[in-house]
Amino acid sequence: MRLGKLRQEQFPRDERFEMSKIALGNESLVGSLTPSNKKSYKLTNRIQEGKIPLYSVVFNSIDARFFNCFVSAGGNGINLYNCLEDGGISSLHSYTDEDKEESFYTVSWACGVEGNPFVAAGGVKGIIRVLNVNDKIIHKTLVGHGDSVNEIKTHHMKPQLVLSTSKDESVRLWNVETGICILIFAGTAGHRYEVVSVDFHPHDEHRFVSCGMDTTIKIWSMKEFWTYVDKSFTWKDDPSKFPTKFVQFPVFTTSVHTNYVDCNRWFGDFILSKSVENEILLWEPQLIDNSPGEGTSDVLLRYPIPNCNLWFIKFSCDLSLNYLSIGNQKGKIYVWDLKSCPPVLVTVLSHSLSKSVIRQTAMSTNGNTIIAASEDGTIWRWDAVTK
Amino acid sequence: MASGASPSSSATRSDPHKHSTTSQAEKRAPASKEVSAVIDSLKKKLAADRCISIKRRIDENKKNVRGITQSTMRSCMERGGGSYKDGSDLLVKRQRDSPGMKSGVNASDADKSNNHSSFLEDGNASSTTMVQGSSVPVKISLRPIKMPDVKRLSPYTTWVFLDRNQRMTEDQSVVGRRRIYYDQTGGEALICSDSEEEAIDEEDEKRAFLEPEDFIIRMTLDQLGLSDSVLEELANFLSRSSSEIKDLTTEDMNTEHLIQARYEVLMKEKEVSESGDNQAESSLLNKDMDGALDSFDNLFCRRCLVFDCRLHGCSQDLIFPAEKPAPWTPPVDENLTCGANCYKTLLKSNRIPANGTTEDKTGTSSDGAGTKTTSKFSGKLNRKKTKTFPSESASSNEKCTPETSDSENGVQQDTNPEKVSSSSKVKASGRRGGRKRNNNRVAERVSRRTQKRQKKSEASDTDSIATGSRSASDAKHKDNEDATSSSQKHVKSGSSKNSRKNDTPVDDSKNSVKGDDPFSQSNAVASEPCSDGSLRKEEFVGENVCPGGLSEDKSWRPLEKSLFQKGVEIFGMNSCMIARNLLCGLKSCWEVFQYMTCSENKASFFGGDALNPDGSSKFDINGNMTNNQVRRRSRFLRRRGKVRRLKYTWKSAAYHSIRKRSTDKKDQPCRQFNPCNCKTACGKECTCLLNGTCCEKYCGCPKSCKNRFRGCHCAKSQCRSRQCPCFAADRECDPDVCRNCWVIGGDGTLGVPSQRGDNYECRNMKLLLKQQQRFVLDAYRKGDKLKFANHSPEPNCYAKVIMVAGDHRVGIFAKERILAGEELFYDYRYEPDRAPAWARKPEASGSKKDENVTPSVGRPKKVA
Repeated sequence: MRLGKLRQEQFPRDERFEMSKIALGNESLVGSLTPSNKKSYKLTNRIQEGKIPLYSVVFNSIDARFFNCFVSAGGNGINLYNCLEDGGISSLHSYTDEDKEESFYTVSWACGVEGNPFVAAGGVKGIIRVLNVNDKIIHKTLVGHGDSVNEIKTHHMKPQLVLSTSKDESVRLWNVETGICILIFAGTAGHRYEVVSVDFHPHDEHRFVSCGMDTTIKIWSMKEFWTYVDKSFTWKDDPSKFPTKFVQFPVFTTSVHTNYVDCNRWFGDFILSKSVENEILLWEPQLIDNSPGEGTSDVLLRYPIPNCNLWFIKFSCDLSLNYLSIGNQKGKIYVWDLKSCPPVLVTVLSHSLSKSVIRQTAMSTNGNTIIAASEDGTIWRWDAVTK
Repeated sequence: MASGASPSSSATRSDPHKHSTTSQAEKRAPASKEVSAVIDSLKKKLAADRCISIKRRIDENKKNVRGITQSTMRSCMERGGGSYKDGSDLLVKRQRDSPGMKSGVNASDADKSNNHSSFLEDGNASSTTMVQGSSVPVKISLRPIKMPDVKRLSPYTTWVFLDRNQRMTEDQSVVGRRRIYYDQTGGEALICSDSEEEAIDEEDEKRAFLEPEDFIIRMTLDQLGLSDSVLEELANFLSRSSSEIKDLTTEDMNTEHLIQARYEVLMKEKEVSESGDNQAESSLLNKDMDGALDSFDNLFCRRCLVFDCRLHGCSQDLIFPAEKPAPWTPPVDENLTCGANCYKTLLKSNRIPANGTTEDKTGTSSDGAGTKTTSKFSGKLNRKKTKTFPSESASSNEKCTPETSDSENGVQQDTNPEKVSSSSKVKASGRRGGRKRNNNRVAERVSRRTQKRQKKSEASDTDSIATGSRSASDAKHKDNEDATSSSQKHVKSGSSKNSRKNDTPVDDSKNSVKGDDPFSQSNAVASEPCSDGSLRKEEFVGENVCPGGLSEDKSWRPLEKSLFQKGVEIFGMNSCMIARNLLCGLKSCWEVFQYMTCSENKASFFGGDALNPDGSSKFDINGNMTNNQVRRRSRFLRRRGKVRRLKYTWKSAAYHSIRKRSTDKKDQPCRQFNPCNCKTACGKECTCLLNGTCCEKYCGCPKSCKNRFRGCHCAKSQCRSRQCPCFAADRECDPDVCRNCWVIGGDGTLGVPSQRGDNYECRNMKLLLKQQQRFVLDAYRKGDKLKFANHSPEPNCYAKVIMVAGDHRVGIFAKERILAGEELFYDYRYEPDRAPAWARKPEASGSKKDENVTPSVGRPKKVA
């Protein structure tokens, strides 16, 4: 409960955080809030997991066998579910931390080298649990973060690598197979406040983007350190002896937002990012090749999301990046079409019983199912209506 | 990048089209409505362009995304179909057989989903059905798998090394302290800082014009022509769309000028089309010296003689001493030359080839005083040259034309040419009859343009008018006044505007020969070194003729000129020294020499009848005057633009608080010294006098000032009793002020070890020490190593506040003989009632306490 409160705090409104005027000729296209209803969803299920707020829900988008599986995290529990064809949800596994203090904020699917499905979850304690959900055992416990973990993301091409962001202002790259902390992204030019979100670049395996409460978004490169990544797979010694490296300088830093940035995702070479300013921005980072750290950002599209100014509300996309869904603090879900320009709102999902904050949504790989994790401990399943 | 490029590229494409449609409108004076309509249409066009570019980029990205997602999908599939024994694939199995749950959920779900489908259509459906449907939420009844407790890490174990986490005394660390480095290309000292509160460049950046803004300015002015109403409207529009303008009245003016200037820059860019030669170098050289010295003035502490001193802070007032030291003259060997280009060698070598006439000899030999002869010499030579080498003069025509035309410009504007004292000039121009007609035309054009531009620059450049009129009145050439001031203004405005993009003077002169573009024309005039109007023209003629180094680059850039002036101040009329020390790599000795003779000529003209025999002092004064004026302007600029960011807040705050404290209490013995800026001997209004301090060597006033501390006349190491005025006034002897005590002949020790061996200076007054019963120094935050010296009621040292170079410092002096390795103690002088127990004297009697209170230590006292 205490933590729930924490997650509601807002960035202090300040004069200088008012949206700055956009320079001439750099206007971005703003989506309209009238739904096109190109696609519609219907509520098919609702599960009360408990009374504990749910912070995270994620579909498996790594392994085609488990495309129907999703995992939720909240409190000290991690639950695995299976979405059935007929709209039902079946529970697969359930894990609880013995420490009641633990409150998981984030969860992500990963994969062992043998292909067995992993789930990595982290929370207020800063400890990342890697569960082998195939064998129902704890595979590794990753200790290293000094404060709560805000997000965990898995590498698309090497699903043994996960990135975790933390309140301790650092981003860490882990190898979940061996339990090694490979790189730490923090320091001189790193984030200056909680790092909230991170995302691997979809095709450049060395890059990722991170954002945080210092209002900046940073793009980092692991290229020079990739040997350490390779080394982490073959490391036989104690993980704590691994020569973990500090990366202190990102290749790009920008502040397209003027407030906490709590979610960002790559969209091709563009970046979708959300701040607590009731909108998601699609922008292009324009890096200058020879001078790392510099560059400009060009905001192209704006997706307004009403009533969405709490921090720690995260959006999700389907695997082919056609749609984006995000909940808001009134319990509504906005589904945007990512392929259209200017942005088109597909639909707004609302229900009279859905009143509390939806912290995160999960879209299935094909975009036909949306799972919403609400703060009142319920999981909502919405399915696309096939016409 | 792409976004920036796209609007402009499309703009150029549509340029001719637009132009033809509005060509009629160009003739009329554009009404404001019309202007705004044009601007609006341009704006719409920009927006549309932007929209198209966004769409294009999104589409490109979409293709990109499709490829990526397909490949990830494929990899997911591969992972799914991995080579895997069925037995180990437990999660799949679990997926398949979680039937009990599934069916149970399903039964209630089947009709529920039907209900819900209706809810989706209208969100306000009756809640009763809903409750019925959702009142049976699926309960999970799985036995959870326990994860054993793991201890969390303490935050300090993952401490991230950051600058701000460092704990180090500020004195010793460079963190938080600005690092100042010298920027080679920009030619100035810059601050390299990693402090987080840096909003430095914001203003500069905002003022810069973005490409779309450029586009609008260019298109509107192309269509409607340049007029006030258009400018006003543009300023309006841009200020509306860019948020940076705060101050309406003045800023409006500024934007207008900016727009105009920007338009000119744009036009010039078009014309010049990137001559693309060493930009960095020229940008440095085209700065005038005040610009180049601006950062120096801001960052260099004139009292501590270091950059970024921590005691006095940055951006102190610039105070220049009223009396300048006499130019330094090195022991000169008459025959010693400074190099291959030394004027002495060149003069000798020139004498033979340049037909050894008598005039020539007199002209060259009379480098010191004979200015008239020089001009005559140049005139004659010129004549000779035009006669004997017609082909060469034609080839040098290119370079000659702008100058000569300009000189005639001056002549034209004269109401009475006979009055012009430089008769040789008239002669020279008269002789060149063949070219005159042509030149006349050019001159006319120039004059027309100068007049036109004069009007414009009047508002923006009041400074230059001031200097112009001043120099003109100096010259006492009433008839020439108009011409000089206008051309000077021209130079000023031209150089200030063109400083951004400057091309080589050769280019300019070529342009001006063509004479088709007003901007390049003005540019050519601007790049000429004729800071003093048409009177100098003659010298150019002379210079043209001169063989040797002059031929390729005869223009003196403003920086070079001001460096030359400084050189004259420092070295006198010694071209070898000036060239070697100040203009190294820029000008050869020979060039400097020629320039010097030219400026001497000028000085003689300026001086009129009162020709100063040595010539240099005249020049000095003249240079000084203009110098001061420019200084004032640069101060102004700094106050507006830069000072804010250069302020070192905590430091200067402390400084001011000390000062305030000292002024509050008039009877303070320690008063903060602030140099005064008096130009003559200090009178009643001298700030030092008002503040109750002596004038120091840092003050502007001359040495004869009555308020100055005179120093002592003591013999060496005799300054240890009240007989020494320095000692009596609690001042450290200053070799600049005192006569003898510091100057030690022979042994070269300069007295420091013997006299001050027992004296450690505690900088910045940070000791916990009650000095003079007024201040308490606290070494909690700062201090040097002596802050670790302990208190003792029977100390072997005493502390004394002395004035060292205008600042109060605490000196620790030996009270008795101290052997090496002995611990130093001094009396902290605690107040008797507040002293901690350990600080009390062992026999804490009343009489001893009294002794403590009385300032036995702080007051001057004989050293044991």
